[in-house]
Amino acid sequence: MNTSWDNEKLTIGLEGRIDSGNAAEVENEINEVIKDKDPSALVLDAEGLEYISSAGLRVILRLRKKYPELSVINVKSDVFEIFEMTGFTEMMKVEKAYRKVSVEGCEEIGRGANGSIYRIDKDNVVKVYNNADALDEIRHEREVARLALILGIPTAISYDVVKIGDSYGSVFELLNAKSFSSILANEPEKIDWCVEEYVEMLKRIHSTEVPAGKLPDMRETVISWAEFMQDYLPEKAGKKLLALVEAVPHDDHMIHGDYHTKNLELQDDEVLLIDMDTLAVGNPVFELGSMFNAYRGFFELDHDGVRSFQGFSYEMAEKFWYKTLAKYLGTDDEAVIRSAEDKARIIGYTRLIRRSIRRGGLEDKDRKAEIDLWTKELIELLEKTDTLIIDNELEKVSKNNDLDIEAVEENLNKVMAFVDENLEAVGCSMKSQMQIDIAVEEVFVNICKYAYHPEKGRAVVRVAVSDEPVQVRITFIDHGKPYDPLLKDDPDVTLSAAEREIGGLGIFMVKQTMDAVEYEYKDGSNILTLVKKL
Amino acid sequence: MLDIKKNREGSKLEFALDGRLDTITAPQLEEEVKASLDGVTELIFDFSGLAYVSSAGLRVLLSSQKTMNEKGRMVVKNVSEEIQEIFDVTGFSDILTIE
Repeated sequence: MNTSWDNEKLTIGLEGRIDSGNAAEVENEINEVIKDKDPSALVLDAEGLEYISSAGLRVILRLRKKYPELSVINVKSDVFEIFEMTGFTEMMKVEKAYRKVSVEGCEEIGRGANGSIYRIDKDNVVKVYNNADALDEIRHEREVARLALILGIPTAISYDVVKIGDSYGSVFELLNAKSFSSILANEPEKIDWCVEEYVEMLKRIHSTEVPAGKLPDMRETVISWAEFMQDYLPEKAGKKLLALVEAVPHDDHMIHGDYHTKNLELQDDEVLLIDMDTLAVGNPVFELGSMFNAYRGFFELDHDGVRSFQGFSYEMAEKFWYKTLAKYLGTDDEAVIRSAEDKARIIGYTRLIRRSIRRGGLEDKDRKAEIDLWTKELIELLEKTDTLIIDNELEKVSKNNDLDIEAVEENLNKVMAFVDENLEAVGCSMKSQMQIDIAVEEVFVNICKYAYHPEKGRAVVRVAVSDEPVQVRITFIDHGKPYDPLLKDDPDVTLSAAEREIGGLGIFMVKQTMDAVEYEYKDGSNILTLVKKL
Repeated sequence: MLDIKKNREGSKLEFALDGRLDTITAPQLEEEVKASLDGVTELIFDFSGLAYVSSAGLRVLLSSQKTMNEKGRMVVKNVSEEIQEIFDVTGFSDILTIE
């Protein structure tokens, strides 16, 4: 038995397995050492401990009677789980052994406000925190990631805490994943696909309601930025900034807070959000503000900076940002897009100026030039802006749960997954879910086959769930040929197999199993709505 | 996803289906059935692993039933409650032999 003696404190090393077979023996040995040294404090070093059964835990309990301050240190993670499960971690000090990991020569795949993410092997990445004492941050990030996952946002949750030199890191499993930044850098022809996935995730985040008090309120944070700015802006501009931010209503929908392409990962076919520590609730304009910075704001004087941060060119960043806004707002109208961008820039510049000033930017010539540029732009924007709320268009898309997708049969599984996710959130019986699935399949496949034939086009699938009565409304919108499927005659379901036509059943099944089916042709769009009571 | 297990004994052919029978997977089953019916007088579909049937799936069942009407019999067995309901609504319960 390894022991060490330090200033009245005795450290005893535990080895191998401690179970009912040897617990008594181990206890005797420990008691021998204690009798010999008579220490005033006792520490058990579990570095060599592989397993401990309840017989072993009882030994520790008896030791604790003699030494109420007893602690167990260097506990391996699977042994730590035993201590955790049995409640020992709550009644005494049990310290985990942190695995040591090196990130030297590892690829940096993500970067956020409080740390950088490196790939350490094929399957795993580690986020290294800037702050040396990051255990609280790690706990916070794990909690918010867990919350996001429960609320339906696909993300990775760390499973281990490690030491990297003097810093802490958290380890995530991320297999075969690549960031959207690296896709844009290496396969720029995929920009439209990237925009589509990126905006789909963004809308998903922004349509996720967060229970009160679970996440910080971004509005309050931005108000504090605006207050800070009072000393650095002309009085009129400063007051207007504060008034504009204060006029943004409270919003309990989620925002990511650092939503750029390094924080979105493609793992096989799945898109995952990472770097969750900035998660908050708030109006989407706050999100767009930080997004503007990640592509444009940070790099307005230093266009090359975007390449070292994102890996792609400033032109690509500009293009990606513009296309993202257009897609998010659901419009090609440049005036609408630029107006939303201006609102985002007000938030973006406010954040950049404050950040740079707090980091001593006013004392550095180059950085002062940047602050001056941002301040000038900000003052001009404030003069022409009366609200930070982005036009109705956005309200409409962010409040509804929409999937805007190419109407091809290969996308059927995506549509089904989208609908089922929404149904799962309300808790829907197997039977209703299957009937809804069938109806959704029939309608979507019909659009794929006929709406744009022989060309191709897009369809929007919108799911709205209401509480009273508990029902789901699923709306399909396409811009194809006008076609009212409800006009089709019902098949005669009493005919024998020989007389029955193959086909023609789909829309009939939909009508039989849904509580209502509504069709409307409006503004060049076919709008078909299914209603099902749950 | 649909997993199709085929088992032939003499003139009896059984397909055990596992997964979903929908627009994406129905053509797969249709092809399997068409290619295997030579000399078959009894065709059995085992639905114990089947979670879902859409109209595309029903179409395959109907065309198989039509073919088997001329050559022998077709049976669908181990149908879940949810799928039975679909058969009822569409009148398929009267067309198919369900055991």
